[in-house]
Amino acid sequence: MDELIRILNEIRPGQKFAGTEDFFDQGLLDSLDLTALVAALESRYEVFMDVDEIVADNFRNLAAIKELLVRKGVNI
Amino acid sequence: MSENSNPLHKRRVLLVGDTTLDPLARLLERNPEAPDVQTSAAPYGQVFQILLDPNQSAWKFQPDVLAVWTAPHLTLPSVGKLLRFDFASAPEVYDAALREAEQFADAVLRAALHVGLVLVPTWILPQHERWIQALTWRKGVGLASLLAEANLILARKFAAQQNIVLLDAGYWQASLGRPAHDPRMYAVAKILYSQSLFEKAALEIKAVMRGSLGLGKKVIVCDLDNTLWGGVVGDDGPHNIKLGAPDPVGECFSTFQKALKGLRSRGLLLAICSKNDEKFALSVIDEHPAMALRKGDFVAWRINWKDKAENLVGLAKELNLGLDSFVFLDDSPQERDQVRQVLPQVFTPDLPKSPAELAPFLTALNCFETSSLGQEDFERTAMYQAERGRKEVLDLSGDVENWLRSLKIEVQATPLRRESLPRAVQLLNKTNQFNLSLRRLEEKAFWDWAEAPGHAVYTFHVSDRFGDFGLTGLASLSFDGSGARIVDFVMSCRVMGKKVEEALLGFVCAQARAAGAQHVTAPFFDGPRNGPAKDFFSAKFQNADAVLDYARVDIPSQIALKEEGVALAL
Repeated sequence: MDELIRILNEIRPGQKFAGTEDFFDQGLLDSLDLTALVAALESRYEVFMDVDEIVADNFRNLAAIKELLVRKGVNI
Repeated sequence: MSENSNPLHKRRVLLVGDTTLDPLARLLERNPEAPDVQTSAAPYGQVFQILLDPNQSAWKFQPDVLAVWTAPHLTLPSVGKLLRFDFASAPEVYDAALREAEQFADAVLRAALHVGLVLVPTWILPQHERWIQALTWRKGVGLASLLAEANLILARKFAAQQNIVLLDAGYWQASLGRPAHDPRMYAVAKILYSQSLFEKAALEIKAVMRGSLGLGKKVIVCDLDNTLWGGVVGDDGPHNIKLGAPDPVGECFSTFQKALKGLRSRGLLLAICSKNDEKFALSVIDEHPAMALRKGDFVAWRINWKDKAENLVGLAKELNLGLDSFVFLDDSPQERDQVRQVLPQVFTPDLPKSPAELAPFLTALNCFETSSLGQEDFERTAMYQAERGRKEVLDLSGDVENWLRSLKIEVQATPLRRESLPRAVQLLNKTNQFNLSLRRLEEKAFWDWAEAPGHAVYTFHVSDRFGDFGLTGLASLSFDGSGARIVDFVMSCRVMGKKVEEALLGFVCAQARAAGAQHVTAPFFDGPRNGPAKDFFSAKFQNADAVLDYARVDIPSQIALKEEGVALAL
């Protein structure tokens, strides 16, 4: 989880991601950050997000991102 | 003074494209390297409107830099048609695409009239567009041939424009080793390029901006053992170090030395910092048959057993250059770590472990970027060596006044000319120490300022019996009412300590008075590193308003000042 937060803070420095319910609704991330986040997760965890997975729902909080990564076989 | 003359202000970069460039805007802003930038990405798909119409809202951002990044198949409709075989005649659509490329280039030329610097990445297509390989390079028909011709149109149209830089996006793409385009992100957010291409683009744009502002590195300091050659010469002996063919490791170090020599030839200064016996190491450098670099290729060295940070400080002092213009190359992680901790301003990169990667690593560095390459650059090492000769004479005589007289210094003053503009701007932007106002301007902005009524700019060429220093001084005046203000007063560190600044100031004041100025002021910008200029001028002021006291301004008798084409009327 710490690593996820680190990746998120590289995209949006200074934001408090831990404990936030919805990064997008609460203004921590926007749709352009989403594309940067996908690229960062792909390069760090060597996974591939398909086009139908690149939707805010999959990335709205730490638990959602973790679930997506676990589904892709990442041990997190 | 306009706002962009403040050296500390963020450069404003306007991004204009036919796809979403916001990821690039964010990467540029978050990149910690100089210069700081503030970006604005115009809504995509309005390229021609923005380029052609200065009243478009995108221009309200008042950019210093305009980056125009377009995709050939989107901005040139006929390229799209050739790509998708949507034509009746390939030659017709090919020619139409070239005409569209000309129109695009003309639109960029129009936009370049009202911005300091324009950056245009060349046109690239995704690697997955195989097209028809047997036909793609057929002139008048093929896609690869068309793209090359279209890019050459840009190169030809922009060749005479000092303030337009074509960026080699083909090189960015080739350097990635990964796809440069991302079809998913295009579907999601009209982002054509992959994050890794944007990352590369941000680094390169920053590097080119640094080059245009004269912030490129100037000195490369190398270790010797396991950096310039394989092995430890003090232990292994000169005949057993790995250098030169047929040994493959030796071949790699030779290639690395040749790459360093190439940088030396284009104007970088090479120096040595090594823990060795000085006499022995220098004899190896001059006598080993496979050395590509000889003693004459280095402008200074510290070959001793002191710590490297201390030696780097000594080198900076000897060369009269700031440590932030230094790159330090050393194979030892411990030495690098020590230098990084003590001198964080020195760029100390990790070197690749494999000798085979040394030369490619060096030639891929973007810290040596420059916006021009001229005679000054090619002769730089020779000039620094002449300086060693001068200092040796001083050390022998010890009498500064006599030494100065013996140098037979000549200063040639000339009004700023178009042909000397690149060097003048390089001097203006690269000089940190003897710089009155620290004004940083791109070529076009500086030329426009010089041409404006009430302004005068002079350049100074300095030489002595040891050699030619080249264009090493610059001063500008702004006349206002009954007085004149010295706006820029810049002198290369190469000519410091020779009273040249006295001659320059004497000349500038004489010009101002001859043009009717009753008093001359020289307010300085209080920067962190322009102490030499601040001290020099402070001692000349007659009051707190930075008004110069003529009694303290005089051309030293040891310096011969010549004027060329200096007209008094402004």
